Order: sequence, then C-alpha cells, then structure tokens
Amino acid sequence: MMREKVAIIGYAQSYHQANMPMTREDMVFEVAKEAAKMAGIEREDIDTVINATNDYYEGRTISELFLVMPIGAYLKDYTKVEMDGANAVFYGMLKILSGTHDIALIVANTQGSTFNPHQISVYTLDPTFDRQIGVLNDISAAAIQARVYMNKYGISEEEAAIVSVKNLGNAAKNPHAHRRMPGISLEEVLSSKLYCDPIRELTMSPISDGAAAVVLASEKKARELSDCPVWIKGVGSCQDSYIRDRKLYKLEGLEAAAKKAYQMAGIKNPFAELDAAEVSERYAHEELMIYEALGFCEEGRGGTLIDSCATFNDGQLPVNPSGGALSADPITATGLIRIVEATMQIRGEAGAHQIPGAWRVLAHGQTGICAQQNIVFILGGEE
Amino acid sequence: MWRNIAVIGVGQTKHGIRRDINAAEMIAEAAWKALEDAELGPEDIDAIAIGNMQGFGGICQAELWSGDLFAAPGKPVLRIATGGTTGGSVAQCGMYQVASGLFDTVLAIGFEKHSDSKEPGATMGLSHVGLANMFHLLANGVDVRTSFAYGGGVGAAAGVSAYQACEYMHRSGCKIEHLDMVAAKSRRNAAKNKYAHLQWPNCTAESLAKHPRFGEIVAYPLRLGHICPASDGASAIVIASEEIARKADRPAWVRGLAACADEENQQAENAQGVSILDTSEQMQCRIAAMKAYRMAGIKNPREEIDVAEIYQPFPHQELMYSERLLLFDDGKAWIPLEEGETEIDGKLPIDPSGGVLSTNAIGSSAMQRVAECALQIMGKAEEHQVPKDVKNAVAHGWGGSTNFTVVTVLGDTPRLRW
Amino acid sequence: MSKKVRKETIAVEGVWPVGSYVYKAPTLYQELLEGFKQKKIIGSLCTGCGFVYVPMRNICGRCWRKIDARVTVSDKGTVKSFTLSQAVKKGQVKVLGMDPVEMGWLKEGERLIMVLVNFDGTNSKYTTILLNAKPEEAHIGMRVQAVWKEKPEGKLSDIIGVEPIK
Repeated sequence: MMREKVAIIGYAQSYHQANMPMTREDMVFEVAKEAAKMAGIEREDIDTVINATNDYYEGRTISELFLVMPIGAYLKDYTKVEMDGANAVFYGMLKILSGTHDIALIVANTQGSTFNPHQISVYTLDPTFDRQIGVLNDISAAAIQARVYMNKYGISEEEAAIVSVKNLGNAAKNPHAHRRMPGISLEEVLSSKLYCDPIRELTMSPISDGAAAVVLASEKKARELSDCPVWIKGVGSCQDSYIRDRKLYKLEGLEAAAKKAYQMAGIKNPFAELDAAEVSERYAHEELMIYEALGFCEEGRGGTLIDSCATFNDGQLPVNPSGGALSADPITATGLIRIVEATMQIRGEAGAHQIPGAWRVLAHGQTGICAQQNIVFILGGEE
Repeated sequence: MWRNIAVIGVGQTKHGIRRDINAAEMIAEAAWKALEDAELGPEDIDAIAIGNMQGFGGICQAELWSGDLFAAPGKPVLRIATGGTTGGSVAQCGMYQVASGLFDTVLAIGFEKHSDSKEPGATMGLSHVGLANMFHLLANGVDVRTSFAYGGGVGAAAGVSAYQACEYMHRSGCKIEHLDMVAAKSRRNAAKNKYAHLQWPNCTAESLAKHPRFGEIVAYPLRLGHICPASDGASAIVIASEEIARKADRPAWVRGLAACADEENQQAENAQGVSILDTSEQMQCRIAAMKAYRMAGIKNPREEIDVAEIYQPFPHQELMYSERLLLFDDGKAWIPLEEGETEIDGKLPIDPSGGVLSTNAIGSSAMQRVAECALQIMGKAEEHQVPKDVKNAVAHGWGGSTNFTVVTVLGDTPRLRW
Repeated sequence: MSKKVRKETIAVEGVWPVGSYVYKAPTLYQELLEGFKQKKIIGSLCTGCGFVYVPMRNICGRCWRKIDARVTVSDKGTVKSFTLSQAVKKGQVKVLGMDPVEMGWLKEGERLIMVLVNFDGTNSKYTTILLNAKPEEAHIGMRVQAVWKEKPEGKLSDIIGVEPIK
C-alpha cells in the first residue's frame, strides 16, 4: 500500500502528426507550459522535472540536454528516463512518495520524423546474433508474434483488423490524433499495404511526432491546487524476458504488471470495475493480447471480446476511446499520452470521445519489441 | 525523505579495455558481485535501476537484451541516463525506489562498453550532440575551423572542459602544475584500486609533465595525461530499507541526495546562445550540494566530510568541484592540494579510488563514486581504504555539458527519524 | 551453461548511421544571417530578464517564455575563455569526416586559438577563432573585434573570427 497519495493535476499533449513544423524544443515547451498552466503552478512551484526521450530516436547522445530550458527545468532537480514516458510518471511518483518532492513535471517526446523508429528497433536486438541474422525488427517480430498468437487460439486476421477499425474510427473524434479515419471499413484495413504478413499499414502504428506532459502532486498540494485531482490508485511495472526467451502467445510481463496495479488499487474484477482503458497497442493484434493480459477476458478469448463490441466506445469497457497508439505513436510519448487521455476521461474533458461517467480508467505503456516492458496505471477520481 | 535507506552491497568489474566479455556479460558480472557482497539472491531484489549512454556501445536499451542475465524478468526496471552523471542518477533512482516505500531492496547498475565502438569513446561522445547541431550549421555556412572551435579541438565534452579549465585557472589563480598534481595523484591512487583502468604507481606531477606522450598539451591547458580514458566497465550497488540494512554488518546509509540541472554551458540546441559566461561557476552544483548536505544534517561539510569522490575526468574539475561542494573556499582548492590534504592519507582525501581521471566507463563512473564512498564507509576499499574513521562521505557526478550535477551524501549512521 | 574463457570476444559489425537523421532547426538563423549581410550582429532579447543571447535563442529558460525581441549588439567584445588546438598535421584530425588540412582550412602545423567571446551588450558567448595574434597573447579579458568577410554572403562564416583591438 502507498504511504501517500499522488495525483495528476495538469496535463497537455501536442497535435501529433507525421512531420511537425516545429523544433523539438518548441514542441516540449508548449506541452510543458500548458500542463503547468492547467495545474495552476508557476515554474517556482515545480520541485522536480523528468524527461522521457531516447537518444537513438533523437539522433544525439544526451538527447535531453537542450530540452532542459524549454521544459522549465532550469536549476531544478532533474533526470531523464530513457523508456516509454509512462515510466517517467512512475519515477515522478516515487520521488513524491519518498517525501522529498511535492510537485513533479513529466514531459515525454519523440519526433519520429527524425529517423525511422522501426530501424531503431533493430538496435535493441542482440548484437551478436539477431542483428547479424538480420531478420528481426519490431515489425517482423510483431508479425511472428501475431502468427503464434492467432494460430494458438484460432484468432482470425479479421478479428485483429477490427481493432484498427475501432481505434482509427475513434481517432476521428480526437483532434490530437495523427491518423484519423472516420468511417474506416474492415475491407480498407485488410487491403492496406502488407508489410510483414500479417502486419499491414493500417494494423500497425504510424510514425508520429508528438509530446505530452503531466503535473503530479502530493495529496496535500493536489487538494490545494486542483478541484478535480486524478489519483494514481495503483501501478505495476514488469520486464519480460528477451524476445527469443519468452512465450510469444501471451504477454506475461503485462499480466504480472497488471496484477500488481490491480492489487494496489483493490480491483478484483477489472472488466467490471474499470470504466475505460487506454492501452499502447503498436499493432492491432497486440490489443487483443492486451485484453487477455489485463484480465478483461480469458486467455485466448481476445478475438471473442472484440467481436462482442464490448470494447467499443458504447460497449461495456471502452478500450482506446482516443484511438490508441494505432492513431498516434510518438514512441516515448505514447504511454504518457495514454495517461493524459485517461486523465481527460476522468475529468470529463475528453470532448467528442468522452466516455460518460468514466471514473476509474486504466492506462498502459510499453517499451521494447513485442511489448517486453510494460507498465500499468489505475487512475481514479475522488472516491 | 521519510525512510532511511542504505547501500548494503557493492560490485564492480575490472575497468579497462575489456575485449574478453560482451556488454551483457559485463553487466551481469557487476550485478552478481553486488548481490554476493550484499549476501542476497536475485529473488530478494524487488526492482532494478539501470543506465548507460547507449549511443557509445551501439546497443539501444541494452537491458532488454541482457536483462535475463541479471534476473530482470519479472521485475520493474527503470532506465535512466543523464550524460556523464548517468551512474549517479541511476544510483539515485535506486534510492528513490526504496525511499518511496514501494520497494525494499533494489539493484542499481551503471555500465559502459566503449571499446565496442570504433569511434573514440568518452570524451568525443558529446560530438553526437554537437553533430545534430553541426549538420545544419554547415548548411548555414559555418566553416570547418569554427566547427573545430565548438568542440575545443578535441570533441565537445573535452572541449567544454578545456574552455572551463581556462576559466577556472583565471578565477582561482591555479597553474598547470596544479593540474599535473591532481592527475598524478589520480594515477597513483588508481594503482591501489584493482578495478581502475589507468594505473601509474609512482606518478608525480613532474614525471607526468615531462612524459613524451602524456605531457603533450592537447587542448590548452589540458595535457594528454590530464584526459580521462574511455573505459569498459560496470558497477552496481544494492540499496535496502532500514529494516533490511540493519541486518548487514556495516551499511553505508544514504543521508542526503540531490540533483540539479543548469542551463547548458557553451552552446545550446542549434548552437543558440547560452548565458553562462563562466562555466566554472557551476551554480547547479552548489544548489545540489546544499540540498544534499541539509538533508544529511551536515552543517560544516569542510569539517564533517571525511572523504569525497568527485567526478573529475579533467583535473581542474577536482579542484573546482571540491569548492562547489563547499569543501574548500572558492578559488582556493589548490592550497590543500599543495599541502597534501587531499591525498589518501590526508585530512580530506579526494578520489582515493583514482576517480574518473583514471577510469571512465561513462555509465559506470558516477555510480562508482557512490560505490566507492560506500566502500570507504564499509571499510571494504582494501588497498585504497583511507586510514581514518569515515563517518560521512560525499559522492558527486556531473553530466551533460557540465550542467547536470548529482550529489549523494553517505554516512555510517542513519539520519534521525523525524 | 558456461562460456569458454577466451582472450577476446568475436567482433561483429554494426552501424548507427547518425548521418542519415533529419534534424529540425529554428528559423531564427535567417534573422541572424540577414544581419550578417549588413555586418550587424543581432541578438535575441528576453524582455523578462533582460538577457541578450548571441547567437539568438528562442526560449528563455529562466523566465520560461518565448523570446521575441531583437537588439543589434556591438561587434566588439571580451574574450571569456580560450583554448589552443594541437599543431594540426594532415591526416591527424577529422572534423565531421573532413580533414581540415586537406580541405585547405588549416595550414599544416598550425595551432588554432579558439575563443569564447562575449560581445558587448550580450549575456552569452560566441565561439570563434582568434586571428592575428600569437597563442601566448591570448588571455581572458582580451578586447577583440569581429573580423568580417569583405563581402558578407549571409552565412555564419561572414564572421571569419575576431582579432585583438589595438
């Protein structure tokens, strides 16, 4: 159990797009300022700043170096988390829980237009073997995983493609999303360009430029500053084994992470108790695997769940009302965007893609090929 | 910080040019040594903090590939990187993981495998940062001589430090001879540290300055012998809650920790202007030091700190940072140096391990400063153990273009609870 | 499973092509370069703290706001720091993949005096070369003057370097 409560009291995200006409400094400056403004704080109030960027995606070592000033970290406690941005929120939370800091500003950013992120996934592979063989990157690995998963449980390509129909359709109502396709049909998805069977253009996330920011506060500060703090009820993080050494037909690491988060939040039946979920699905089939790992359905029944329409916006447990990663994937920012979207839902600020009455929402971020590292947040409004 | 935490185990690999192991094995070596030292098994570890400057070794997020070798699967892992002080930030991440109350025992690992890269290592690294600026500067007509100047003629990290050394010498009145003395002390101390890279047992300021190769001035005022090597190596510490630490023989209690980031020195993104006119000012180091000392309950660091491990890939930085860490008066650190106060058997030994000047595996270096302080408190520093009672030690790291600072204060007793 | 103890690991190749990256730059360079065409140095002024940056900066991290004011500053200044390169031989150094001696930018055996100059009226340092001076003459506090190309082209190299003010 947590000794102290931590809340999100401000957030912001950019308008994610293929090639933002903005430098990375301007991009992070905007989201950081906006989040602070919403939180009602000045630069002096910020105790610690954490930036999530990745040197390889940025094409420079110490990629956070020149972002210090734009994100307001001048003469502040400061560090960089080089993973999905949701992990930076976790670290900010740890700093607040330790009692040393009260207010944390978290900023995550990637401009995918800088360099092809799929190429970079190759650099995360075993340099002595997989990189030499040259077959794997995140797309081909996802394709292999999709095949293993679909074969084992009899999930069809159509069922995976329905995820794209759902998410890209949802994104049409999300002005921040990069890839919005109102009225998209199953046929369109299934006839989109084939990358690596069965992964297609529309069943994999786009390469996006984007950034997001949140302001975290200790309970005392949250109550002082915000009239609708969004509490972190539970969090769980877990790293899975390397791709060649783990089960590919299920996301065991995510399952373990979710268990921890549920336990902390006191959730026994996630499907019934959650109002919505924002997950990081880089590939359409991944969302089905995520359903299973999060316990929304039984093992192997991800296809059945999507068929039942329960995860559509008007269903029992809407998943990715924002459109998810399939609609915008600025790599290190993606998980943080899920947290922002979940926060928006709870605060009733999600506009056209608002899920009415959402009060307990799950947010998920992943890092590494085939979702090797996963982190799950349970966010909730005041009980 | 409401929870008392301590370092209960330290592990290091031999640092140097390690062509006998690959990166994954090197990380595992340090991790397992730390666990052994803490008398724990992998199942006792609740979370992991890890970091390096991933551009150098050519592996993106190396913990994804190598994690299975140090029992990462099943555990929460946080990857941290802050330039040169990565190791220090990783150590502090581990500390916050325990201090938060969510985890009781954490393993923190810093590593670097420079020799895996054909490019020159540590000091050239910031070129990658510079390169991002340089390509479009070239497009705007900057000529090669000026681009050379941006890097101080030797690559950006050394470049900032060369300009900084000049500024520090002007500010303090110290001479190149003092830089020779610091470098010589580092080599001598490193010779007593079995994990260090550049070891020169009888090095003196004169022998360094007169050496045909190391005495050559590479970027005024820095000689080749003043520049840190690019080492391979990994170091790890195990951090535990008070309850668990009390079972250990002599834990090194974390009494204070702080980090602070200043405006980037010398040049900003796209070579924009930076308003730090004196890079030896190091305001962020003063702030981090004051915060850490206050947390640790240290009112007079000059008297109360028994040993300091300062991050000094260049010799003037030992003098400069010892002043910014409030151990000596501004501009006067060369006096105690001349008087032998900072030798291993001196009144305030600085870098008894040899420091970064003699061993620099970037991701590991700042972690080693914390680890070495812990070893001194635990009495396990073997041949370079300072021959005095170590009650308080301060570990320091800098990163970026000398604008990130991380300060950790360790002691032999926990803070009083309040 | 144990690894056979070897003296050296097997080397396997890999490349991280930093050169293929697409970097974005702000547009404020064009303003600076327009000023150079008229042998003027234009700095950005933060109206919050009054700091003037040359080369221009578009965000003031102290005030946490965008910088939108401009001032023309002096092309005379003070050396704040300097360093000397080694005597450069052909084939010894590569700057961004180019050999400066081969390119004709440096003479064989030349030592460059590299300086950080604080132009009067600014709060920042400008990185450039010290011309028409011997290495021993370089010192912090030296007063210098920008050396302009005779016919500036609107490039960063329009300021060839700085030279001591006699």
